[in-house]
Amino acid sequence: MRKKKIKFFKNKFLPLLTAILLITAFSCPLRELKIPKPPADRHKPFDFIGRKGMVVAAHPLAAEAGLEMLRKGGNAIDAAVATAFALNVCEPFASGIGGGGFMVVYIASERKVIVLNFREKAPSQVSPEIFDEEGKTKTQGLAVAVPGALAGWTHALNTYGTKKLSEVMQRALSLAEEGFPVSKTFSLINKDEYEKLILNAGELTCYLNKGFPYEPGERLRNPDLAQTFKTIALKGVDEFYTGKIARKIVQAVKDKGGVITLQDLALYEPVEQEPLKGIYKDYTLYTLPPPSSGGLHIIQLLNMLENWPVKKWGQNSSPYIHHFCEALRFVFADRARYLGDPDYISIPVDELISKNYATRIVSLIKPDHTLDSYPYGKFKEKKNTKGNTTHVCVIDKEGNIVSLTQSINYFFGSGIVPKNTGFLLNNLMYDFSSDPSSPNVPLPHRQPVSSMGPLILFKKEHPFLVLGSPGGTRIFSSLTQIIINITDFDMSLDEAIEAPRFFTYSSMGKAKRISFESRIPEIIIESLKKIGHDINVRKAFDKYFGGAQGILILKEKNIILGGADSRRDGYGAGY
Amino acid sequence: MMIKNIFKILFLLAFFIFTVSAREKKETALPVFEQPLLITSAGQSADVYLASILAKKAGLNSSLSKIAAPKDMKNIKTLVLVLGASLKGLGSAGLDKAKEKERVNLLVAKAQKKNIPILCLHLGGEARRGKLSDEFITSFLPFAKMAIVVKSGNKDRLLSRICEERNIPWKEVEKATDALKPFKEAFK
Repeated sequence: MRKKKIKFFKNKFLPLLTAILLITAFSCPLRELKIPKPPADRHKPFDFIGRKGMVVAAHPLAAEAGLEMLRKGGNAIDAAVATAFALNVCEPFASGIGGGGFMVVYIASERKVIVLNFREKAPSQVSPEIFDEEGKTKTQGLAVAVPGALAGWTHALNTYGTKKLSEVMQRALSLAEEGFPVSKTFSLINKDEYEKLILNAGELTCYLNKGFPYEPGERLRNPDLAQTFKTIALKGVDEFYTGKIARKIVQAVKDKGGVITLQDLALYEPVEQEPLKGIYKDYTLYTLPPPSSGGLHIIQLLNMLENWPVKKWGQNSSPYIHHFCEALRFVFADRARYLGDPDYISIPVDELISKNYATRIVSLIKPDHTLDSYPYGKFKEKKNTKGNTTHVCVIDKEGNIVSLTQSINYFFGSGIVPKNTGFLLNNLMYDFSSDPSSPNVPLPHRQPVSSMGPLILFKKEHPFLVLGSPGGTRIFSSLTQIIINITDFDMSLDEAIEAPRFFTYSSMGKAKRISFESRIPEIIIESLKKIGHDINVRKAFDKYFGGAQGILILKEKNIILGGADSRRDGYGAGY
Repeated sequence: MMIKNIFKILFLLAFFIFTVSAREKKETALPVFEQPLLITSAGQSADVYLASILAKKAGLNSSLSKIAAPKDMKNIKTLVLVLGASLKGLGSAGLDKAKEKERVNLLVAKAQKKNIPILCLHLGGEARRGKLSDEFITSFLPFAKMAIVVKSGNKDRLLSRICEERNIPWKEVEKATDALKPFKEAFK
């Protein structure tokens, strides 16, 4: 009996065990990284790790969709578009085919950076009178601009991608059909925007759970959006801009008092632009030119910060916050005075981003008190307190990079969903100024000023940091703080992203109060009060300040780090 | 001695049964409201739409007006006040805190004059608490004939304490959708 057992062990078990071990060994790539899991406390800084590629997005399922595309051999552009489609499903309140955005793309083989502008445009029948006295559009439909996202994604795919539209949307399509459990963030935003949804999308919309806001963990399915994706996959993007979907968009907007026409949709085209370039110490920054103000203002801020001993002052020290905030107030004065659609107005971009101009402003800023006034334009700034938009960063194994910021403007956009399509239309017309004398006045075909600032920062010749964020007018302030946290305060990527933030602005030449995350020590806040700042303390991790996503490329270590903001549902997926 | 102890035990048992039955009585003796009902906000939060959906799902004859005035109470047999403030809601209704309180006070006065019972709902949970919301809760909940509150909004027992101090029957539910059952049962 015993011999029989030994014989079995020798003849069958040992070869079987050896085979299993060999198969296991060969199926695991030797150089595959062990990917640590993020900590349970989402606010604890955590860098996602990859060696070949990385996708960072505002939802785990969207980041996974992008990673899946990279693993299938797609490049960064394919993965970015796959992620964007998935975000339309999982984070529908922030972006989607009913909106628009900007993409900064680095083509590694050509060492070239391009900007793709697919921001929404004003309809042809729009006029400056769309706003009422309180700065609201007179009807909800008038808030909707001509969407550009789908045209932009397709242009990016056709020009720089390797996959078909039908391939990159596959994961998103499944997610829309199968559904996903909504997060706490989703639920909170859903409750905040409940009124808009019930009044515009109606109680039967999938963006409400049988008429009620979603509770965390409840499953959201969007079969209408899945069908829309299928239709686009089958019939092409023209279906959206000239076909049946276009007619549904026009009708839905018209029903809510808007003026988008079929011709407006048919005429929409994304455009490629030269990136805006800035230099900060040893770094070169590539970002958006106008009509986005974000990139320009990041360069302005960095130019000013270069003049001060920020490292010596320390991160979030009193002098650092004071000088940064004073600089921000000058930047906002410029924003109101000069920014608009460059196709229609002249913007002194070169002057604004010059080192000399920064030095002139720096000389006006006093170390021990706030100023009584800031040079300002005559144009009244609208207060924007909405936290919105989304950002995606992707790098592939060839080194191609996408930094993509996109939006439907306010959370859940206009709340209008064209019949049986499952996607939300934007309310981007709110990014125009309600002041008819502003350069950012709503006029036909114009693009309103944006605050977005997707960027790629190069260290010497090589891409070093990919970064972007939602957050309305807080975007360029938050992104600049993150850059300084890394370049001057030697923080790791996610440490820099999670670090406490602050924000201020000026309006009509007057300083506005500083908003802080409550983690900034009381002693710092008190010292700022003493030199004339008004203060507003917000939550410890407040999505008001955005939800940044970033990738840090440590070339010498052959490591890619992903940082995802815990202020929203940020997540990284690397391999 | 033993008989004495038995009496003691019987006494305690009787006291326990009495307490439990009294408590049950308090919970079951809920007022019965009549239709039609007017739903309005006390604080201009969007939760007023939740109440409207609840009424619709409960098959109740209701009307919704975020900024209802006493004149809207004609032929109304129940006034539903949805408690909770929203700065955004107040702003878009063109109201401030004082004006909104004045509006709700007029409604309450009219309801009292016409013997129209008030049903208070607090559906927004924790998010619908804070200084501003609490002012509306403490001002108007005491006028309720009954209240339904979402549990997370009553962690500090502010709402239940007000109800208990004034013998207002109240029901606590986990989330807004769970309010449907007690809301429906509260009407004839």
